[in-house]
Amino acid sequence: MKALLETLIRGLGNGSVYALLALGFVIIYKATRVISFAQPALMLAGAVAVSHLAEVTGFYTAVLLAGLLIAGVALAVERIAIRPMVGRPVFVVAIITLGVDIVVRVVVNAFIGRDVRQVGDPWGFDQVALGPLVVQQRWLAMLAVTAVLVGLLFAFFRYTRYGLAMRAAAFDQETALAQGVSVGMVFALSWGLAGFLAAVAGMFVGTGQGIEQGTWVIALKALPAIIVGGLDSLGGAVAGGLVVGVVESLFQSYQGEYAPWLGQNFAVVTPYVVMLVVLLVRPYGLFGTREVERV
Amino acid sequence: MKSRYVVASAALVALLSACGVIRGDDEGGKGAQAAGVTSEPCPTAVDKKKGCIYLGTVSDLTAGPFAALAVPITDAQKAFWARVNKAGGIGGRYEVDVTKFVRDNKYNPEVHRQVYNEMKDQVLGLAQTLGSPTTAAILGDLKANSVVAAPASWTSAWEFEDVILETGANYCVEAMNSVDYAMEAYKPKSVMAVHLAGDYGADAAAGAKIAAERNGLTFTGVETPSGATEQGRAITEITKNKPDLVILTTGPADAATIVGQAAAAGFKGRFIGTGPTWNPALLKSPAAPALKALYEQSAPGRPWDSDTPGHRAMREALPGVTPNDGYTSGWAWAYPMKAALEKMVASGDISRKGLLAAVKSLRTVDYEGMLPPEAGNFAGDPDAATFRQTLVNKVDDKALTGVTTVKDFFVGPTAKGHTFDGPCYAKL
Repeated sequence: MKALLETLIRGLGNGSVYALLALGFVIIYKATRVISFAQPALMLAGAVAVSHLAEVTGFYTAVLLAGLLIAGVALAVERIAIRPMVGRPVFVVAIITLGVDIVVRVVVNAFIGRDVRQVGDPWGFDQVALGPLVVQQRWLAMLAVTAVLVGLLFAFFRYTRYGLAMRAAAFDQETALAQGVSVGMVFALSWGLAGFLAAVAGMFVGTGQGIEQGTWVIALKALPAIIVGGLDSLGGAVAGGLVVGVVESLFQSYQGEYAPWLGQNFAVVTPYVVMLVVLLVRPYGLFGTREVERV
Repeated sequence: MKSRYVVASAALVALLSACGVIRGDDEGGKGAQAAGVTSEPCPTAVDKKKGCIYLGTVSDLTAGPFAALAVPITDAQKAFWARVNKAGGIGGRYEVDVTKFVRDNKYNPEVHRQVYNEMKDQVLGLAQTLGSPTTAAILGDLKANSVVAAPASWTSAWEFEDVILETGANYCVEAMNSVDYAMEAYKPKSVMAVHLAGDYGADAAAGAKIAAERNGLTFTGVETPSGATEQGRAITEITKNKPDLVILTTGPADAATIVGQAAAAGFKGRFIGTGPTWNPALLKSPAAPALKALYEQSAPGRPWDSDTPGHRAMREALPGVTPNDGYTSGWAWAYPMKAALEKMVASGDISRKGLLAAVKSLRTVDYEGMLPPEAGNFAGDPDAATFRQTLVNKVDDKALTGVTTVKDFFVGPTAKGHTFDGPCYAKL
């Protein structure tokens, strides 16, 4: 039981990082109907920014500054590469985001260099006792920070004018435009928020183990998370991320014992298996909006 | 009727051309210069009176997972050949160029094959072909055209390929020696090999398995994916089964995660990681105390700051670089190619076949002390020629690449008694 609970906490920790990344995907999707494949590069850029800034400013300030910096980078990307494509097929814009991802990663790789970089986090592999459970502090930090950020994000959408504008634009762009909502501002804000969340997620990915040029791959796990949760549901993104993290962690710990016939590393594909199962049962995800189409 | 003749003759020409009867690039023809060898000087020649031998480099230079190692390897080899050229070149007649044909494989076998095809008619051989799966993609062509290539990988498969000019013991031997070393130093009763898939990880795991069987130890193999965040299962397996010895064959960030988290969970066994599991930057990671306490690195060659003429020459040729054993490996890999080129030029048969013949006659290579001369045995059968000496290093803050040697070149009883009759990874 103790081992099971520790496995669950590890899964929730990793899952909350996937949730942050998934939120970025969903915020951009809701605003622009485009899946941004630039999220992995923004995540890596955030982690690298923290690792450089932490040497100068200390860790916590570095996280804040890196979040703002990457939000700025995301805003610039949106203004330069995405905004001119408004009105074009979303497929074309998605392909552009793939290109942006590669460009940003090549630049960021130069800042990573040859060695593994550390983000200077205070947690490392330190553990803490929660009653009988012994868990890594960084899992708890991931969970707590994600909970706070998700709370703030939901409050932002619920109670602020800009949040309302974003919700209105997501619901119907033309009507929102007619009501005086600046859809361009909504696009920019969505990219900025996604950039900030990606930077925080990147920092967490780097805790303990450091970052290298191949670390960006982790961000792809947010894709099954958003499909599981529903592409246009913020709550779904959080739930999807946590589900993916927990299932992956459970398979890492127990599949070898209970289902060895699945092969040694089945945990790697579990996010995609969960995604397929959900797609079969609920094609719009657990919390996604069911689209009604007239035939 | 006429058109039938035209079609028939076109078909005949096409057939003969495909069979190689009609060819425009008759390399062996009378008076023709061998591919990759010119009587004109190299673009950056030291002595304009000498001809030029072009060697290609296909490496992971930008976006692939081994770029951190590949760039120093490539830089070291450029410096190595520049030194050879300054010292009079090959046989006093040729200089060697490794700068004109340098291409990025992005660690993708398809790209590797494509860039190799683009350069293959213009180079005599390859100064570097990085990676095992990537090199496997061009191996057929290398063999068919007798193109000699120095690899940048240590899989045991290279022992069985005449055209591959490997340097240093393979991963399989390295793991055998690591287990034998641990038998003396730590007297383990159980061994676990935590390894990546393929001919890097599986090669070492196979060596560990063979050594475990010979020493009467229980053996468990745990294949793990690459990526520091993917190591949860490997860590669980280690902390659950508590082996006395873990042989690691992963990347450096993976290794640090495994050692650091296993130690944090109370694991007290020993880790020995193959050469590529170490990176000096790990000394700054949260895993550093665990690495210092529990981890050693096995290696096919001595580290950067060793005191041999070869190491000294390398350090002099690479002033101002951040020390990295990628440089050391790249430099050492070039010695057999130099020896083979010298032998080829001395024989007078300056061609790919001449170079291959020279390689097959090499029994020793002067590594200027970086490796024993017998590491350069490419003659005779693979089992007899397989070099079986490796070292063990420990983590040391003060060393320039973070490690110092605790056991110099040695052969354990397992590697000594083992018959190499095929790649080890095929037997895991």
